[in-house]
Amino acid sequence: MFTTVSSATVLGVDGQPVTVEAHVSTGLPGFSIVGLPDTACREARDRVRAALLSSGCRWPQKRMTVNLAPSGVRKVGSGLDLAIALALLVADEQLEASCLEGLGAVGELGLDGTVRGVPGIVPAVDAVIADELVVARDVAHLVGLVSDAEIRAVATLHEAVAALAGEDPWPPLPPRPDPDPPARVPDLADVRGQRAARRALEIAAAGGHHLLMVGPPGAGKTMLARRLPGLLPRLDAAQALAVTKIHSAAGLRLPADRLSTEPPFRDPHHSTTMVALIGGGAPTLRPGEVSCATHGVLFLDELGEFPPHVLDALRQPLEQGSIRISRASASVVLPAQFLLVAAMNPCPCGEANRPGHCRCSDRERARYRRRLSGPLLDRFDLRIDVTRPDTNRLLGGEPGASTATVAARVAAARARAATRGVRCNAELTDARLEAATSLDAGATALLDTALRVGSLTARGLTRVRRLALTIADLAGAEAPLTSEHVGMALALRSEPLAASEAA
Amino acid sequence: MKGADVGFVTAIASLPKVGPARLGRLLDLGEPGEVWERIRNGTLGDEPGVVESLGARSAPLVASWRDHARAMDPERLGRLHHDLGIRLLCAADAEYPEVFRTDVEPPRLLWVAGDIGAVRSPAVAIVGTRRCTRYGHDVARRFGRELASAGVTVVSGLALGIDAAAHAGVLDADEMGAPPVGVVGTGLDVVYPRRNVGLWHSVAQCGVLLSEAPPGATAEPWRFPARNRLIAALADIVVVVESTERGGSLYTVDEAIARDVEVRAVPGHVTAPSSAGTNRLLADGAAPALDTGDLLEALGVTVEATGGSGRPDRPVYRDPEEAEVLDILTTGSVTFDELAERSGLGLERLGLVTARLQAEGVVQRSGGWYERRG
Repeated sequence: MFTTVSSATVLGVDGQPVTVEAHVSTGLPGFSIVGLPDTACREARDRVRAALLSSGCRWPQKRMTVNLAPSGVRKVGSGLDLAIALALLVADEQLEASCLEGLGAVGELGLDGTVRGVPGIVPAVDAVIADELVVARDVAHLVGLVSDAEIRAVATLHEAVAALAGEDPWPPLPPRPDPDPPARVPDLADVRGQRAARRALEIAAAGGHHLLMVGPPGAGKTMLARRLPGLLPRLDAAQALAVTKIHSAAGLRLPADRLSTEPPFRDPHHSTTMVALIGGGAPTLRPGEVSCATHGVLFLDELGEFPPHVLDALRQPLEQGSIRISRASASVVLPAQFLLVAAMNPCPCGEANRPGHCRCSDRERARYRRRLSGPLLDRFDLRIDVTRPDTNRLLGGEPGASTATVAARVAAARARAATRGVRCNAELTDARLEAATSLDAGATALLDTALRVGSLTARGLTRVRRLALTIADLAGAEAPLTSEHVGMALALRSEPLAASEAA
Repeated sequence: MKGADVGFVTAIASLPKVGPARLGRLLDLGEPGEVWERIRNGTLGDEPGVVESLGARSAPLVASWRDHARAMDPERLGRLHHDLGIRLLCAADAEYPEVFRTDVEPPRLLWVAGDIGAVRSPAVAIVGTRRCTRYGHDVARRFGRELASAGVTVVSGLALGIDAAAHAGVLDADEMGAPPVGVVGTGLDVVYPRRNVGLWHSVAQCGVLLSEAPPGATAEPWRFPARNRLIAALADIVVVVESTERGGSLYTVDEAIARDVEVRAVPGHVTAPSSAGTNRLLADGAAPALDTGDLLEALGVTVEATGGSGRPDRPVYRDPEEAEVLDILTTGSVTFDELAERSGLGLERLGLVTARLQAEGVVQRSGGWYERRG
């Protein structure tokens, strides 16, 4: 007999609906799965068999074929186990065919019949076409957030079979888990001194400008970067859903009962491989760190230590907000709209910034500089030098503005950007930017001089205008931009790793 | 030196581990051509006492020279001098600088590119650290320019930093100025450091480049102290512009003291590591070099008062905020945060003020630090 159950698999960050077809007929006993299953999927055979037997069902001594349609799409992972088991039971007439109408199932089976959640379950259930959806009990609330279908939460295959046979009612949904304690976002007020750097963070958050911090070890670059997500606006519902899907596909830990509205913060170590950073690992074309940082912050500490080819791979996502990953079997587009924050030392010994302190040879410094390609450096609107704060200022000194205060200013600035039809100024096209940034006489004169003496290049000019616009937005100033806005922008855009001053 | 000998002498000097001392002993053994033949045949060690005279652990070295010598062509080396416009001088030559004839440790051989007539008195050596601050750079450049304009020969080592700034200053001076003298530690055809290639050729063209190393000799650590000795020997005054506590320019100072050459130091910030060495010299009794006038007076040179040491005119009026920032910057390099705190200006206002001063060229930023220029 023949039957079908709806399920789904994951490719990249999107679910792909899959129809599990089962056919049981007389013939030589055997079980085969066709339709491009990967290894984990093919192993479903053994898991399903053990789970059926442990759940008090019969293992049919017949010829069984399972087809995963559409057969051209590669099926990945163990999420189809549950659907395969249910389809087989109906095809073997251990269950009524009618009970599968409008039913979908996503979940992995244990040998004892337990039903478990799988990585990527959020995008997968989003793709399942069904009125009722059977999933593992521990992911029931999470799935409920993204799926319109009626959720049937089961702990074991036996529970599902009993409910479908009409012997027992569906088990009730588990009680809502205690909400996770709100993640403690470090407060900006903890940072003493560093006024310019704090201002740069605020501007980065308000305008979506990528930020490069150059400074010696111990200057507080990491401390500053960790405070950036707190300044960004909370994610809206669509963004939160997108982020949850990406994180689920990447197999990250998710809050159990809600879509997280905190902007993600990802800080991959510099030994991270290209695939782990950009995505495309495993047959699922798993999203990488840049995708996981979508709508949040990607922090690359020790930028100079990342292999150059890995850094250059960041250029496409920085430009387009997405990455196209192509492999022989498939091609996916992964979202990658993140705010890039990078930190690095000015030279291997870390002291080059301070005149007369560096211990590195010129060759070492030149080699360190060459690691970063010009095009990548060019993507950073904000390039600031961070210096170690005075000890006096660490101990005494007044705390600066708190995260809440600054976040309110950021939100106000973003509201002004929204009147231009974008979420933040970094998204303005060059033409729109030109229109939005009229300059007053003083600002024109200042830019003119800077261009003439060569401290500003033509390409840098657009970036400075963009930055100045955000600075004006934060100050609540109307057009035109004044010389103060432009002066501040120039001060926050240093030439990174200036060549030896004596040259 | 005779044409044929140039090739042989250069070949001997190009053998591995031949410094001034070994070279001197080898040349004392006989005619250069003859000595070269003995090295090539491996018969140098046959004569008793020769190997011992070359210093400890010389026996394996002498043996290795034979193989090196067979790979070299003295005739080609001789032609190379002609092609590169390099000349080789020894004490027997009339053009050999007089100042070396009376020196305690004169160079046995001197390779010369340019006009040897540029080596003349009065001369001031300007030396200092390779990693200088903007302050040191500007002082060295100004001294170079003003001394050259006053007809004083400026001697330096063509290293990065202070050395390069001093000679850049000399080249800034008008055509009537004294030509520059550069003393380098590598072969005259090996530009080191590469970054100075433009300056290197300009000095050879306008003045003269001297080296104790044969053409083709690459940068080796032991050659630079020897080079510093020549700088000290050529100078009437050695001016150290900036030096760290244990900088290489202090070698030059030691050599100058050994020759009774006056040493002067440019005062710096007591907190600046780049001035630690020079401030120590001042504390130890060196006279300060405050401006060109002091140096000229010490040399006994008088200059017509045509404003040779005149400073660039400062605008009389500045807006008070700019003046305040400039005032703070006179105390050395300062970060943006510190500037904001000490000036009491808002960050935007300060951004504007520093941007203006930078555009004017009065202030420069290196790393996160702001410095005053000039």
